[in-house]
Amino acid sequence: MAAITQPGRGTLGEALAGVRKAADSHYGILSWIATVDHKRIGIMYGVTAFVFFLFGGIEALFIRLQLAVPNGGVVDADQYNRIFTMHGTTMVFLVVMPLSAAFFNLMVPLLIGARDVAFPRMNAFSFWVFLAGGLFLNASFFTGDILNGELGAPDAGWFGYAPLTLKQFSPGHGLDFWAFGLLILGVSSMAAGFNFIVTILNMRAPGMTLFRMPLFVWMTLVTSFLIIFAMPVITVALFELLFDRLFDANFFNPAAGGNPLLWQHMFWLFGHPEVYILILPAMGIVSEILPTFSRKPLFGYPFVVFSGVAIGFMSWGVWAHHMYTTGLGSVANSAFGISTILIGVPTGVKIFNWMATLWGGSISLRTPLYFSVGFVGMFTIGGLSGVTHSIVPSDYQQQDTYYVVAHFHYVLFGGAILALFGGIYYWFPKFTGKLLSDGWGQVHFWLMLLGFNLTFFPMHILGLLGMPRRIYTYSEGNGWDLWNLMATVGAFTIAFSVLVFMVNVIVSLRRGKLSGNDPWDGRTLEWAISSPPPAYNFAEIPRVHARDEFWHQKYTEDEQGLPVPVAAAAPAPEDGEHEGGHGIHMPSPSFFPLLAAIGFPLIGLGVIYDYAIAAVGAVVLVVGLYGWALEPATEE
Amino acid sequence: MKRFLGPRSIRAHHVVTALVLLGLLALLLTGCATNTSQNTFDARGEVAKEQRDLFYMAMWPAIVVMVFVLAGLVVTLLRFRRRSPDELPKQVHGNNRLEIAWTIAPVIILMILAVPTVSAIFDLGRKPRSDALAVHVTGIQWAWQFEYSDITDSGGQPLSSLGDLHIPVGREIGLTITSKDVNHSFWVPKLAGKLDAIPGNTNVMWLKADEPGSFSGQCAEFCGLGHAGMKLTVIAQSQEDFDAWIKEKGGSPSGGQGASPTPTGGPGGR
Amino acid sequence: MEHATAVTGNLETSTGIDNKKLLMWLFLGSECLFFGSLIAAYLLYRDRSITGPYPSDLFDIPFTSVSAFVLLMSSVSMVLALAAIQRGNIRSMQVWLFTTAILGVLFVSGQAYEFTVFHREGLSLSQNLFGTTFFVLTGFHGAHVTVGILILLSLFAMSLRGKLTQEKSLNVELAGLYWHFVDIVWIVIFALIYLIQP
Repeated sequence: MAAITQPGRGTLGEALAGVRKAADSHYGILSWIATVDHKRIGIMYGVTAFVFFLFGGIEALFIRLQLAVPNGGVVDADQYNRIFTMHGTTMVFLVVMPLSAAFFNLMVPLLIGARDVAFPRMNAFSFWVFLAGGLFLNASFFTGDILNGELGAPDAGWFGYAPLTLKQFSPGHGLDFWAFGLLILGVSSMAAGFNFIVTILNMRAPGMTLFRMPLFVWMTLVTSFLIIFAMPVITVALFELLFDRLFDANFFNPAAGGNPLLWQHMFWLFGHPEVYILILPAMGIVSEILPTFSRKPLFGYPFVVFSGVAIGFMSWGVWAHHMYTTGLGSVANSAFGISTILIGVPTGVKIFNWMATLWGGSISLRTPLYFSVGFVGMFTIGGLSGVTHSIVPSDYQQQDTYYVVAHFHYVLFGGAILALFGGIYYWFPKFTGKLLSDGWGQVHFWLMLLGFNLTFFPMHILGLLGMPRRIYTYSEGNGWDLWNLMATVGAFTIAFSVLVFMVNVIVSLRRGKLSGNDPWDGRTLEWAISSPPPAYNFAEIPRVHARDEFWHQKYTEDEQGLPVPVAAAAPAPEDGEHEGGHGIHMPSPSFFPLLAAIGFPLIGLGVIYDYAIAAVGAVVLVVGLYGWALEPATEE
Repeated sequence: MKRFLGPRSIRAHHVVTALVLLGLLALLLTGCATNTSQNTFDARGEVAKEQRDLFYMAMWPAIVVMVFVLAGLVVTLLRFRRRSPDELPKQVHGNNRLEIAWTIAPVIILMILAVPTVSAIFDLGRKPRSDALAVHVTGIQWAWQFEYSDITDSGGQPLSSLGDLHIPVGREIGLTITSKDVNHSFWVPKLAGKLDAIPGNTNVMWLKADEPGSFSGQCAEFCGLGHAGMKLTVIAQSQEDFDAWIKEKGGSPSGGQGASPTPTGGPGGR
Repeated sequence: MEHATAVTGNLETSTGIDNKKLLMWLFLGSECLFFGSLIAAYLLYRDRSITGPYPSDLFDIPFTSVSAFVLLMSSVSMVLALAAIQRGNIRSMQVWLFTTAILGVLFVSGQAYEFTVFHREGLSLSQNLFGTTFFVLTGFHGAHVTVGILILLSLFAMSLRGKLTQEKSLNVELAGLYWHFVDIVWIVIFALIYLIQP
């Protein structure tokens, strides 16, 4: 890019030079579009994921409005099927995964004492591809006659079981958008997975052995491995589905001897590691917040690490517990029943360690702590209903009912989402320099906790009273009416709590209390630098001597193990040579990741509508990739 | 805000949450007593009863653990909340013996649960007995078709019905389940847990109604636009009423095997 | 490490492995799952086609053995290309790189020829399970080889402009890792799909 932006090369050269200068300047929208700074990318991930959270939440409110009373008339069956499909797909792929990615981006380099990730441009690429995939998926809404209430969105559930997803049962383009959209999102996740593994393994500050890494970094590492090994499986399944739909292949076609169960096996081989991809980062966040707010180290750190690793390995051996009722046979059901029963053990170990972290501490009752404790409580409930699922014959009743809906919302909402909100309140000051209002944060927390339990606890009852999932309406006389109404009230309570949060963010960005470097008396390296950090993070790469390195810079221990503040503790001293960041070369911004990313939705649209568009998309992708490969990483 | 959320009212918040959760728990228990049409607790068949009992076996320990964890969290927060800004607690790093204990103890408890679980998997997953009444179940978007393999109608075809499945009380029924189009799932909660209907595959299950009655069910695998309305009813009748129904439909058992009841020898066979 | 920046290159890394090399290994690991899933689909559906043509009707083992050999030889030339640039012999590296690419093209041409023969005999994606699983598996493999050829030719073009020097030999090593992986996948496919018939 340097070659074509030399001034004096004509108006194109001058224009490009001007754009390049704007991108380098750190101000204005062009600098955000071309950024390769992990902190900015993290913020973009977080904001985008939050907007999708609002989409998914509105979809949920439609579901709850429709089911509030029997024979509801808010939406018809067709609209309902599309809305619940998009709700699930959005929450899993466009909210929880990218919110976790936001935290990987924001925090991992800071926590390991690095200046950025291993591949900054690939990092930007991951974000732009995510945005492209999310927009592509949601564009499907508009492929129907939307003004007449005809939504073009996919309508076969977030899990898309064949053969319902085949062309003869689902004509229309919704599922093509679904499959292709997920393929695009898979590229984004995998790129991020590779990036973070290399970053964590290769770019730790000197002295930071693996067992001195903050636990969130460990969870990021395990999650990233799960991503790079699980996503290829769903990639293949989605290609197989697309080939069946577009080219009359026979992967899932019973008429040609294909077995629809092949889809389920592949989907869940991906799907079960996927749910641990969704929860491990949240567990990592909680493992940072609880020690900080108890002023004690994480209890049993090595055991929490091993449990996370064990969960990662074991997650590959339980997938068919989503398929107990498909007729796999008693031997298979027993084997997966036992493996599923056992996978609860490492999770239990973590829960006990978190409780032991709090016990004996000096607990600061602030919003991040409340969300983390809420996580432990709600995740425990979700985990326990999971144990009841592993009692296979009773799962024959629970499967495909609202009991399952209760279970996974307890672990994904009461678990992941609560922890992610905790992370937002915890790390918001580091990146903005301002504190979110703690009082209103607690209002958010209590409203959300109340609304959440009101929404999802009754669903255990609904499932046990025989209400199946994915039905757009139900009749009276089943005893389901009261619980459904309760769930709807709870859903709107959740929505209101989210509003409280949004107002808190907007007001605090303007008038929030200044946080300083270390508002929480933190333990890890990010609190040693300014809030917000400079572009290069650390003027001087820290030398690490222990776990919770920053805490040990602030405190030593006396003979009884009580901390004693170190007199005149100086966090990371400014090196004269690097003062103000002189002499530190950060990677240059680049537009090529965005350009390459644009190629993907074009290819998708082309495959669905007109191959000429796909060809254009392929060219854009290739030009983007070549430009990226040939561009020097820094301006020398 | 700070005053409103001072030390005293934190307690109030915790109590409120605890009460709400306990209240919901109590309501859960009332769910057991409700005589609603698809209540899995109101088991009326041998299979559903075995499944319900296994659920209780897991549910009560789960509730105990839940109460322990939630109460433990509340007590911990109250007891160890920071009382002064420069409180610095002892930096405890762990306890290996505790780790081993709370790893091994859950494994033992769970393995104890696993024994009746595996036993029930095999018991409920066995093939139907040879003298079971054989019924073919086919899911079709969006209705259930039933066909009695051993009972023919007046036209010489296997006796069939749509939506309603008549069975004799106290006799084992062997269901062979498949689909003509997409995945469905056959489910009559008061009699048995569900089994999926997959095109190109057949799945087999046995069930038995312990008393006469009308038991409702519905498709439990998302199958498209009509999924919510894909319902069925199992009508369990005394042998005389069942025979009368067959005659009414113009049917007669082929080969004399199907219609006459073989004594099942009472409950058992686990 | 004081001057560590986020730029890849000749940095000290915590593991001692270059960032890009670690990335390539991780990528190849994920590709194992990708091809593994495709191979699993083929094996699960083997002998379940309701109509023909069947593998025994179509496979020409001698022909495919030759094209497998060609691909195997291309790995040899790839090794020679890397050895050359690591010694600083750019000319030799260019020859071997180009050879590798040509052999790859030969292989892909053999695949294309095989596909047209099978198609003429009535095998298509939609014909039966064999057609579906065979074409998708070998098609994706062929696509991977093609991408590899493009990478090799790009490296070749760069070296013609003097941009691929001994210091940049890592790029050739990375291309080599990818190329060898694609070759190994073919050996697995050839063995499981062509040679081992139940």
